[in-house]
Amino acid sequence: MTTTGQGMPRGAGAGQLTQAKASARGRWRIQARMQPSAAWRSVSILAALLGAFVLSALLIASAHVNVGTALGVMVQGAFGSRGAVIETLVQATPFILTGLAVTVAFRGRIFNIGAEGQFFAGAMAAYWLATVLRGAPQAVMLPAVLLAGCAGGALWGFIPGVLKARYGASEIIVTVMLNFVIALVLSFLLANPWREPTSYFYQTALMPDASYLPRLVSGGRLHLGFPLALVVAALVWVLLWKTTLGYEIRAMGINSLAARYKGISVATTTILVLVISGAIAGLAGVGELTGIHHRLRLDISVGYGFAGIIIALLGQLHPVGVVLAAIFLGALLNGASAMQIVTGVPVALVNAIQGITLLCLLIADVLARYEIRRTAGND
Amino acid sequence: MTDVLQATFIVGLFAGMIRIATPILLAAMGELVAESAGILNLSIEGTMLMGAFSGFLVAHITGSLWLGVVAAIASGALIGLLMAFLSATLRADQTVSGLALNIVASGLAFYLFRLAFKNAGSQNLPSVGAFSTVEIPLLGQIPFLGEVLFTQHALTYLAFLLVPLISLFLFRTRPGLELRSIGENPRAVDMRGLNVVRRQYLAVIFGAMMAGLAGSFLSLASAGLFVPDIAGGRGWIALAIVIFGNWLPARILFGALFFGLIDSSQLALQAVGLHLPYQLLLALPYLLTIAALVVNRSRSRSPLALGRPYNRAERGA
Repeated sequence: MTTTGQGMPRGAGAGQLTQAKASARGRWRIQARMQPSAAWRSVSILAALLGAFVLSALLIASAHVNVGTALGVMVQGAFGSRGAVIETLVQATPFILTGLAVTVAFRGRIFNIGAEGQFFAGAMAAYWLATVLRGAPQAVMLPAVLLAGCAGGALWGFIPGVLKARYGASEIIVTVMLNFVIALVLSFLLANPWREPTSYFYQTALMPDASYLPRLVSGGRLHLGFPLALVVAALVWVLLWKTTLGYEIRAMGINSLAARYKGISVATTTILVLVISGAIAGLAGVGELTGIHHRLRLDISVGYGFAGIIIALLGQLHPVGVVLAAIFLGALLNGASAMQIVTGVPVALVNAIQGITLLCLLIADVLARYEIRRTAGND
Repeated sequence: MTDVLQATFIVGLFAGMIRIATPILLAAMGELVAESAGILNLSIEGTMLMGAFSGFLVAHITGSLWLGVVAAIASGALIGLLMAFLSATLRADQTVSGLALNIVASGLAFYLFRLAFKNAGSQNLPSVGAFSTVEIPLLGQIPFLGEVLFTQHALTYLAFLLVPLISLFLFRTRPGLELRSIGENPRAVDMRGLNVVRRQYLAVIFGAMMAGLAGSFLSLASAGLFVPDIAGGRGWIALAIVIFGNWLPARILFGALFFGLIDSSQLALQAVGLHLPYQLLLALPYLLTIAALVVNRSRSRSPLALGRPYNRAERGA
């Protein structure tokens, strides 16, 4: 039996250690909990966030900047005005989707590290279809482009799915390799056939207007992608907890051998998981393409796919948690830009904070599974 | 092409192959040792980046390249210690721990770089005078071979020397065999009264030190500067090459050289001015890695207990 990881479905560890009964002198010992209570887990998460906060403050302090001032600027930048809040939600939009993409996969213990590549595959498919359909009305164009994005991402998830299901190739390595492949394919396309003829930059021409996701508020970049991401979050919840496939995914995540004995086709489920995960990541790609940039460039993602891993784990592999974690990260990024301008602390701080938070949570999650108890053991 | 040009082309191609293979070989051999002890360390890419940065920083400050190399190894050891703590002591999920550490290491390297070199832009990157190549007396004089094999960086000689040494250690010495037994069946090793956790710590830390060293090769020997994407996926390739090499040192060496050859031929063809879609050529090693994963799986020598946390108190399975 494998020990379940951070945020993994519980219950698999239940078979662990039940020992130390019997006799004589009492003694303090550390032992595994059968089932960490919700309260205890919340405490451990809070402790982890506190630990991450302290470490992050130390990092800011290492830049010889007053930590209070820097944090104040950050909060202001993230939530200080209507415009700031809107921009935070704009930043959160791709995070929600890539976080959900990773959630679906990790729930089934399929380690999809390829959300970044699937993001680009989605954006590329969407761009291609938009140029093919140039001139079509918005009612046709917009749904078609969104679907193309999902399809592109799904295809880039299907490949590692099949390779794992049929040939047992590690999805971790394959998805990482495919990230590099798609980035190279895109940079080839941007250097040659897709390049805007008049441009000095490696970028395509602007896409047709009909493919733009409608903006929701005046004076802000918030677009239809945000509510769409929330809908996808709800759908992912339904998928995982209200459908047979979702049950199978979670069963596979807890113990794939047991799932196989129950008659679940692990191969089919593996492929489906990666296809769905890829489709959601692809949607994130279209969202950024048609909601924000309106043209394809290499920098339409600033690591959204990789951030998805962090968000999924911070959000405890639950859609609600993912949305919260994504908004938190959006706020962090947005606030850090303000902080860089005012105090000079590099925005790259966000990358470090993300990793530290994740590490603290991971440690807390493991520790929450143990307790110190006075036992009546003599061993 | 004239004969002379042709000769320089070929020498450049193969010398480049060996140079490019060096960091991948270092990291992959380190990872082999960690995986032999049953611990899958996915944080190689981040560790490499951290090694490249700390090596560069120390070399930039002190002016000593070798102190930089030491710093890179030390930073690797630190990350390895954390990985060992997470995986061997806390028995956390190794995949998730490795990914988390990867993000921490690359995030920190990125942040600290921006902090240390505030004004670094794409136009004015800070740099250090990189290591120069060391010609081995006599052997370096051999035409062709001398230029390809014996006019390389000191760290390259070290990397290639480590392959037979690590191979001997893992397959022919008592501690090496004990280490590999842990990867196959930790309980059996434990029952013989040998300390499993301590050996796993040592193996993981050694592996991470090698990744740090590999990073310093990138910043101090290949480039003489640091850019945030300097690792460029080489850590992941090293991980893939361990699988591609089926956990056998000789095949890992072959895998690293093969990757080096493709990358080097791309550079060489560009240098000659051939207009190829070089991006597609560059994608080739990644595609071939995937192909190797698919072809290899039936004869896998992967350590049986790889990636599974070992819990003394847990019975069975």
